Amino acid sequence: MTGLDIGILLLVAACLAATVRMLAGPSEADRAIAGDLLLFGVVGLIALVGVRIGSGYTFDIVLVASVVGFLGALSLARALTRGKR
Amino acid sequence: MTALTLAGDVLVIAGALVFATAALGLLRFPDAYTRISAVGTAGGLGIVLVITGAFLHRPSVPAAVMVVLAVLLQLTTSAVGSMAIARSALLVRTPLSRLRFSELHDESGAEAEPDGGEPPLEALRLEETIADPGEHSERTG
Repeated sequence: MTGLDIGILLLVAACLAATVRMLAGPSEADRAIAGDLLLFGVVGLIALVGVRIGSGYTFDIVLVASVVGFLGALSLARALTRGKR
Repeated sequence: MTALTLAGDVLVIAGALVFATAALGLLRFPDAYTRISAVGTAGGLGIVLVITGAFLHRPSVPAAVMVVLAVLLQLTTSAVGSMAIARSALLVRTPLSRLRFSELHDESGAEAEPDGGEPPLEALRLEETIADPGEHSERTG
């Protein structure tokens, strides 16, 4: 059990916790911030699993996913206010 | 196991623990605003540690360039995204729980109402708020 495996397990647990909060959150802001944590967690999982299987394109996808994750967070914030600023 | 791989393991486990702490805060905090503070502070730090640790397992020059770019991007934008969600949560009047001491209500910082109430949008003197989507966020947990 290398450090990468422990990291993958912890990140999967964090993503599952975020999914639970997204399903059970009483307000919409809870669901939005759970989605934000899921976006971060997916970026981390891409990095760890990509290094684990030895892919050559890992960090390309990590860079693109970081940008998309940031845009997703801003879109979630705009969606909370129904498109108004 | 070389020194770089060991350092990478330490960084990956540290980053994953920070992430797990953010998820724990997301589950256990009583209120939307405290949950946003948990995710906003720990998300950026955790992801930077995880990406750096993963890079140390397979270092190469093109990957180094991309990792530097990704780390800089995450450091500058992770908090911005979470604070945008927090601002939107305030504008749609997400309920605030257990307000015992509020500096937003008046300058003397007197005791606010002890039970959960509306966030003090009037004290912020916003010209307009978005009251219409409040139908869904009136429900409290």
